[in-house]
Amino acid sequence: MNISSNEIVRVEHLDAGFGASRVLHDVSLSARENEITVILGPSGCGKTTLLKHLIRLHQPWRGSIRLFGQEITAMDEPQFNRILRRIGVLFQNGALLNSITVAENVAIPLRQHTSLPPNIIQRLVRVKLNVVNLVHAADLYPAELSGGMRKRAALARAIALDPPLLFGDEPSAGLDPVTCASLDRLILKMKQDLGVSVLLVSHVVSSVKRIADRVIYLDRGEVLFSGTLQEAYGAGIKKIDDFFQMG
Amino acid sequence: MKVTVADNRMIFTGPLLLEHVSQTYKYAERVLPRFPGGSLVLDLSGVEEIDSAGVVLLDEICARARQRGLEPELEKIPESIRGTLQTFSSKNLIDREKRIKPSFLERLGEDTTALSANVLQLLYLLADSVFFALLSLFRRRGVRKGEFINQSILIGMNAFPIVALISFLVGFILALQSAAQLRQFGASIFVADLIAISMTREMGPLMTAIIFAGRSGSAIASEIATMVVTEEADALRSMALNPVRYIVVPKIYAMTLTLPLLTVLSMLIGILGAMVIGVTYLDIGIKPFYNEVVNALVLKDIVTGLVKSLVFALIISIVGAFYGFRVRGGAEGVGRATTASVVASIFFVILADSILGLIFYFGKGVEI
Repeated sequence: MNISSNEIVRVEHLDAGFGASRVLHDVSLSARENEITVILGPSGCGKTTLLKHLIRLHQPWRGSIRLFGQEITAMDEPQFNRILRRIGVLFQNGALLNSITVAENVAIPLRQHTSLPPNIIQRLVRVKLNVVNLVHAADLYPAELSGGMRKRAALARAIALDPPLLFGDEPSAGLDPVTCASLDRLILKMKQDLGVSVLLVSHVVSSVKRIADRVIYLDRGEVLFSGTLQEAYGAGIKKIDDFFQMG
Repeated sequence: MKVTVADNRMIFTGPLLLEHVSQTYKYAERVLPRFPGGSLVLDLSGVEEIDSAGVVLLDEICARARQRGLEPELEKIPESIRGTLQTFSSKNLIDREKRIKPSFLERLGEDTTALSANVLQLLYLLADSVFFALLSLFRRRGVRKGEFINQSILIGMNAFPIVALISFLVGFILALQSAAQLRQFGASIFVADLIAISMTREMGPLMTAIIFAGRSGSAIASEIATMVVTEEADALRSMALNPVRYIVVPKIYAMTLTLPLLTVLSMLIGILGAMVIGVTYLDIGIKPFYNEVVNALVLKDIVTGLVKSLVFALIISIVGAFYGFRVRGGAEGVGRATTASVVASIFFVILADSILGLIFYFGKGVEI
């Protein structure tokens, strides 16, 4: 595969697993700038494991992962931390710190990685919360929020440093259709208004149809298909057809 | 359900449901030896209804028949039960590989490997914690603002009532028990010496550390374990924040500040508890008791107690963090991690106490 100049994520021949159990086999994929790429597939196919490898929460057995054109698998920690600051991550259940308020959660990256004065940080936090329609919940604790609100708060934290790249692990999982659609609109807004490139893991078909520019279908740890949503419909691969029909 | 045997046929009549399976199976086992060999026909023409248990029974009878050298087959299957037979047939299911129990040596090897991996992880955590604790004294970034005060209150200040009560009672009980013996030799006054030295050298630091291990060590383990289970620790890493620096270091600071302070209070309150016995039971006046305490104690007694408390503080916070970070599973895992951290903390505290005691007091010991 040749590296395209607007590829923001590139994975090549990734093999990974836990103990003796292989979860990902020869996975190669890419995500482009200003696009929403969705990794989809049935439960247990390795989507979340793949995403966690992209932010180096796990180390692969072999293969290459490039973010912003830089190989990250063997990168030293300070250099990788600089890359991490350009990525926002939205975890499946939000992963907000439960001991602090929503506003304080959103402020964490700003306080830790910038020298902004406190009043500017405060404003920025309100701006980010406004983007996700959660200004009114700034002083609440995560336990006081609904599932959808937690995800929106987590999204606000993920975009706190205006990252050019956003990763999301099943952002729509567990949400009712209305809230799911609302979150999808927010993600589309990130792309259209803020120019954020998005790589999501999802198995919610309605969500995929709403937001995906490109899809990568993962099946039992292997890439079955990679291309646009239209190409996926016309690929004639039964598993993908079943996935879209039954979703 | 009725089963009749004729020639090489087993004829089933009636519903073949869960409630019929046990009896039918026992009958089938009894009659199978009667079949001489060759084919065995299971005639299902009379089976009006079947469920998954019934299907599995038929598969089991067929398997037993094959073991006896017979060739079983199902015949005259009513249309109404075909679907159910197909859905629940276990014939094509692959048998689970039988787990071979490891031998004693294999288990010993696995346990040794696991133990050495755990020790290594603990040493890494200790190294990281000490490094970041020292680094964060000079570079505040990476540590949560205000967290040191929060943790000092949670870990230290809030523990004062229980530490005070237990220290008082320990001093009280020790004095009471030793008074009974010393009285016989007319040496009641030495209760003051005994309690002063034991509270400062041993009981004060040890009792306070054990209370902290149970109270604060478990809180550290459960907080960190919950953060791991809910991906909060992963979220911190994804924001380029080191969880050890962000979460553990404030707790180490709080523990190393408050445990020695509460140890000093424990020493004083324990002596106070002993004084109550001295005054009320042994008729020793307050002033003579106080003078005896002051004369008995040397600087070394108090300093060694404080050194122990610092070491205990580090042990309790590191052990709590260790078990928190290595949690596996959900709520049950959090509970296991919390319990294990308390037990391990108390063990290592007592072990460290023994080693420090030997260092300070065995033979000539360390001069202070």
